[in-house]
Amino acid sequence: MIEIRDLVFEYPTARALDGIDLSIAPKAITALVGPNGAGKTTLLRLMAALETPYAGSVTIDGVDAQLKPREVHRRLGYLPDFFGLYDGLSVRRCLIHAARAHGLASEKVSAAVAEACQSVGLANRLDQAAGTLSRGLRQRLAIAQALVHGPRLLLLDEPAAGLDPAARRDLSRLLLSLRDKGMTLVVSSHILAELEDYSDHMVIIDHGRVAGGTAFKGAQLYIALAAPDEKLTDFLVQQAGIKILQADTSQARVICEGGAPRRAALLQALIGAGFAVSDFGEDRRALEELYFAQLGQSGETTS
Amino acid sequence: MNPEFQRNLWLELTPARLLLMTGFVLFLIAIFSAAPTGFPSSGAVALALYYFLAILWGTRNAALSVIAEIRERTWDFQKLSASPPLALMWGKLFGATSFTWFGAILCLPFVIYPIWRGEGSTPALSELVILLFQGVLAQSVSLLTSLALIRRQHNYWRLDAFLCQVTGIVAAVSAYGFSNLLSIGPQAQATFSWWGMTLQPHWFQFFSLLVFTGWSLVGCTRAMRLELRLVNGPFVWLAFLGFLGLYEAGFESWFAFYAESDGGAVDAAALRLMIADLAFACSAYGMVFLEPKDPVHFRWLVGEARAGRFGRAFLALDCWMLSFGATVLCTLLLAFVLWGDSQPIAGAPGPALVLPLLAALGFFARDIALFVLLRTWSRERGDFAALAALAVLYALLPQIAGPGRGLLLPQMTAPALSLAAAWLEAATIWAWAIARIQRRAG
Repeated sequence: MIEIRDLVFEYPTARALDGIDLSIAPKAITALVGPNGAGKTTLLRLMAALETPYAGSVTIDGVDAQLKPREVHRRLGYLPDFFGLYDGLSVRRCLIHAARAHGLASEKVSAAVAEACQSVGLANRLDQAAGTLSRGLRQRLAIAQALVHGPRLLLLDEPAAGLDPAARRDLSRLLLSLRDKGMTLVVSSHILAELEDYSDHMVIIDHGRVAGGTAFKGAQLYIALAAPDEKLTDFLVQQAGIKILQADTSQARVICEGGAPRRAALLQALIGAGFAVSDFGEDRRALEELYFAQLGQSGETTS
Repeated sequence: MNPEFQRNLWLELTPARLLLMTGFVLFLIAIFSAAPTGFPSSGAVALALYYFLAILWGTRNAALSVIAEIRERTWDFQKLSASPPLALMWGKLFGATSFTWFGAILCLPFVIYPIWRGEGSTPALSELVILLFQGVLAQSVSLLTSLALIRRQHNYWRLDAFLCQVTGIVAAVSAYGFSNLLSIGPQAQATFSWWGMTLQPHWFQFFSLLVFTGWSLVGCTRAMRLELRLVNGPFVWLAFLGFLGLYEAGFESWFAFYAESDGGAVDAAALRLMIADLAFACSAYGMVFLEPKDPVHFRWLVGEARAGRFGRAFLALDCWMLSFGATVLCTLLLAFVLWGDSQPIAGAPGPALVLPLLAALGFFARDIALFVLLRTWSRERGDFAALAALAVLYALLPQIAGPGRGLLLPQMTAPALSLAAAWLEAATIWAWAIARIQRRAG
């Protein structure tokens, strides 16, 4: 969906991105993570064809962002970290304007507005002025504006910033539902725990370079035993397709490639070998651990 | 309907505002209609009100149509829309000013009808067109300035809106006062000559206003294209420079009066080149002040040139670079013409002007380099620092330099000294600027 090759971006005083090479898979949610000032926002803006690179290329759905920026603009939705709304307009008019500005034919606008409102849960607030909405509802309206024209790609920069826990949960559900409808999403965020809820892949950006990344959704497992067993580590080492991240006599964290069938086979093998498995499932600390492991930093020094 | 225009209409033309504006305009005009002799006529009040609404207020709204988007953080959303640059431009220009246009147009019948009754339909219609185009010119220049300022990416938005207003108002006033300028001075006449044609100032003003409004709208569209990440290429700016040179050079007979100080005839071709050269130099100063002069862009241009991709580099040249090049070429051509020309200009034979002319070119190159150099120090204040430096170089230092003035200004009495000093200063500042641009690349 997105191909980035040797991308360089400079500000007058510094090089923000230094040779980024990256492929982003379609119909998935990719988390863009990294410390402050790493270049995440710049990278998102280059993907959105809002900036011109110094060198290299960004291709969105086969379209070169530098050669045909307007074509790229038509194909994506983008939510900046600090966004604004036309506060004097009603939700309905904001969305009608967004749909028409994105080139949607007049006869399709009403249906598109209704669908976008339905997606973000604003259907009962169509006549409310945008300026009177709460922070969470403004976020939803901004997302609705970004997706009202039915883009195949949605770029979101810190979408959960400033949202309360309920609004964050709603946002996660919304992003997952968009992914399930076939949309590709790239989300930049500092809140690793929240990204874990919905992201399929992670790309770590640090000092303007890709510092690491992986497909992690469901791949990292946590295994706990009811009673310690000396043989656990040796057993896991012998299993094909299993990479041990950390293991002792009572618990282990492993990467298990191969999807659900391989996970089922591993569980069956553990029980068959007599291990008293008390916990077996997706590792909820996976993203954060991967992040710090790949950045080579301790959790205390980075957000 | 253009979505941007419609959005602005939603915000600007609410029933309450329309009612208020109608009441305000009609009430004010009605009061002055009933006023005793000695008070301004209702037509004069309507004209003043028109200027207030279309030009004073309209320029502000035109500037804010972009500046407010930056301030309210909605500009990225606009840039990502599918609207073509032309549609986005006119949707903003006429949408953001729709409320003030509504009030201004209410005033027009009270301005035009007395002219129609007194002088006939042609003067009335021409006045109507002039008023409308003055408004559009002022507002489009204001919008153009705001688009130029946001490319510079600084944050003095309150001041910026005012600056845009001022440029728009100056454009409108210049267009209006132009015919008066032609009829002042020792050579004042009811008609004047432009490229050998005898013209009436009124009609010349009329057509000039239309043409410059057209160029202003072209400028707005091109500035909008840049915001939408489209590449403009150099050809429209070169066409504008060609137009500007030809337009200004047509006033040669008007300037000749001042050049013929010793009573001899002036070479018309040399004088026309000189006027066009001045116009190019002014455009270079104006654009080097307005454009961002981004060091990253410089480095990119150098990289493209080093890689042999001259075509790509040429297509990405800034307007000031093109104006700079046009000024250099025109000056060299003028020097060539003057070298073979014995007819005096401003009291000196042509060849005697060549060295001072080349010295002036050197000082010009130094001035442009100053803008580039000081921009590498401060993105926000560099250009104002360059203006201050030029004020010191041209106004203050020559007053205290005495016989050393030739080091600062082109001198007829010491042309070789001026020439050497000018190009030494230019080379030094350019070298300094280039070193700073390259150092920042690391």
